[in-house]
Amino acid sequence: MAELKGAPLRRTRFLQAQIDEFLDVVSQAVLSYEAGVADYLQHGWTDAVEEKSAQIREYENRGDRLRSELGTALYTEMLLPDTVGDVLGLLGALDHLLDVLKTNITMLRVERPVFPPELQGSTRDVLRAACETVEQTVLASRSYFRDPSTARDHQHKIHFYEDEAEHAGFRVMEAIYASDLSLAEKRQLREQIMRIDRLADLADDAGDALAIYAVKRSI
Amino acid sequence: MDVAFLIFLSSGLFLGWSLGANDAANVFGTAVGSRMVRFPTAAAICAVFVLLGAVISGGGASAGLGQLGAITALGGAFTVALAAAVTVYGMTVAGLPVSTTQAIVGAIVGWNLFSGTPTDLGALGRIMGTWVASPLLGAAFAWVLYRVMRFAIRITKPHLLILDQLLRVGFILAGAVGAYSLGANNIANVVGVFVPAANLGTTAFGPLVLSGAQRLFAMGGIAIAGGAFFSRPVMMTVGRSLMMLNPLGGVVVVTAQSMVLFVFSSTSLQALIVGMGLPAIPLVPVSSSQAVVGAVVGVALARGLKGLRQIQWTVLRNIAVGWVLTPTIAAVTSYVTLYVVQNVFDQVVVGP
Repeated sequence: MAELKGAPLRRTRFLQAQIDEFLDVVSQAVLSYEAGVADYLQHGWTDAVEEKSAQIREYENRGDRLRSELGTALYTEMLLPDTVGDVLGLLGALDHLLDVLKTNITMLRVERPVFPPELQGSTRDVLRAACETVEQTVLASRSYFRDPSTARDHQHKIHFYEDEAEHAGFRVMEAIYASDLSLAEKRQLREQIMRIDRLADLADDAGDALAIYAVKRSI
Repeated sequence: MDVAFLIFLSSGLFLGWSLGANDAANVFGTAVGSRMVRFPTAAAICAVFVLLGAVISGGGASAGLGQLGAITALGGAFTVALAAAVTVYGMTVAGLPVSTTQAIVGAIVGWNLFSGTPTDLGALGRIMGTWVASPLLGAAFAWVLYRVMRFAIRITKPHLLILDQLLRVGFILAGAVGAYSLGANNIANVVGVFVPAANLGTTAFGPLVLSGAQRLFAMGGIAIAGGAFFSRPVMMTVGRSLMMLNPLGGVVVVTAQSMVLFVFSSTSLQALIVGMGLPAIPLVPVSSSQAVVGAVVGVALARGLKGLRQIQWTVLRNIAVGWVLTPTIAAVTSYVTLYVVQNVFDQVVVGP
């Protein structure tokens, strides 16, 4: 009886713990990213920011490993036959967020753009809204696994923060191009803002997919 | 048990094989179709529990069918089972809905007409009443079970993976009970007509003592169990095309169907109900396919408008058509075949 072999409940709890750990990793990575970028805006590339960058790379590696192990386990053990595609799709979307977090912090390290003091506050607003969008997506993902009907409660917050990030990003980019910075600096700063805003866009896309997965799971 | 007896019994065993190949799908179709249980696991559990159900609890429904007409000659029993098998085969080939239960009832009525034995209209009425009652009961059980389980899940909020594991266990337990009930209830269709004519003695296998009827039930049970291993195509059809069921719906359908078959085959439950001063439930074979369809409708009703839109109403219409068509065709086939077997092959089809 392959369906029930080898202490099935213990194995199930192990996989459940792996999913929880994966969601924790995404949440911790975005917290590190927010703290790291906020620190960078204030003090430039310091040891503290370097430490956050290293943490994000570590989280991204752990996320990749967990996602791969979960995918293998779900398919080879024929678990969740009716929702395995949705679950792996969700984990894939969250893993992509981890990739983008790592890329963003890496590009910040490479380019080290200088944000004028008058732009730092509004850039922090974009950062906060984008990271909150990711946080809400992680919360919605947790709900999906336990209580899909409540995933909708997080959905409107995901949209709200994504919208906030977009508007804040637009305002910062307007301010950048209205400033006396050189064109090269303007383009560099705009690129950084768009990278931060892209996090919110991707989290929102994951949230939209999650809403459909939750409807499919509703009983 | 001589060779001639086995030859006569062959039509019943063929009917049993067909029943296993078709009705095992009702027990495990949703589980295999939704990939919650693998086919070899499903077939093995089905085979073991069908056999146990037939041998241990097959007497109740068989006695109920016997009230309709006790066929007193082995040749008659062979012909009646053959007529039922031919009807089932022919209607399946023609793509018409068919129930083994209705076929065997029609074939027995055909024998009654041929032999001049009066049909017990009270028994016939009770049996036909169960054809209407079994899908209705299946729907009612499924409606209650689905709502209770959905409520329990919403309260306890199990993790998706834990829920998946619990549903797998539920599929296997409900499938085992369903297979037991299928054996107990439907063995009457397969070898019930041979019981009055067979006159087999009691046999002991070590500590296990089997009556003559139980030996017949065991052979019929083995035939059904064998058929279960050939049920993969039907399982996939039942599991995927009847209606889009989620795993919870699948477990509910299997459980509700098991309960319906159990209600119409358990002598203990009947004794309990009579002991409470309630009217006795007739112990007769019922169609597991119709119980499943009823249960699916019950799940759809429990899901409200969203579920109702998914019901394939033509399936329900086909059941109603089957109630009239199957026994009528089986009765005519039985009558004609009995005439041929008696007058062309010179076999005794009506005993003294």
